[in-house]
Amino acid sequence: MTPSESAQLKNRIRRLRFDHGEMTQQELADRVGAARQTIVALEAGKYAPSLLLAFRLARAFGVKTEDVFQWDGE
Amino acid sequence: MKDSIPLAPLQKLAWFNLIVFAGAVALYALAVPLLAWHFHRTLADAALPSLGMFGLCGIWGFGSRFLYDRRRRATVKLDEREQFISQRASTIGMAIFWAAFVLSCMGVWAYFSYILHQTTVPIDFLPFLVMLGVIIFTVTQSIALLVQYKRSASDDTL
Repeated sequence: MTPSESAQLKNRIRRLRFDHGEMTQQELADRVGAARQTIVALEAGKYAPSLLLAFRLARAFGVKTEDVFQWDGE
Repeated sequence: MKDSIPLAPLQKLAWFNLIVFAGAVALYALAVPLLAWHFHRTLADAALPSLGMFGLCGIWGFGSRFLYDRRRRATVKLDEREQFISQRASTIGMAIFWAAFVLSCMGVWAYFSYILHQTTVPIDFLPFLVMLGVIIFTVTQSIALLVQYKRSASDDTL
């Protein structure tokens, strides 16, 4: 996925972290089995995750995948 | 609130490789005038034997300890993004290595063939070419790793 395509994938990870007791990036990373830098990259819109990681993130917040990620491409 | 993110194992490995390479370059720069002075030769004469200082790069072999977690007694599991970064860095390293290796092989052959008018290339050049190839691959791969990590971690807000 190119950087411009990654930019079309918006996410609410930061918002959801704060809504879940100000969960830290490290705590979220530990829950989904990823590195903290990957959470940083996701929040900055610089990385598009695999489907598996997207589902893990949604499950970590107890929401649906589409509540975490929104795609505004064509 | 901002805090620093600890270096990932791959970043530590890349920095280790680059520091070792910088050390080897520094030793080489010291060795050339030292050998020339000690053996009463010109700097050009001392340049080739001083390449032995790049043997320091042999300790790259210990770099794998950065990918080992002592607490878990297992190799660190890289997540999907890190695996992607690692693969891309290796691809870049391989591409640069191959281009440089082919060019240097052809360069050595052209030098001996057209300038020295010799039909064969001395076998002494083989280890140098292999060493050059490994150095180019490792250094390029390490730089590519660091650049990719840097690009995707510019925002570390908690």
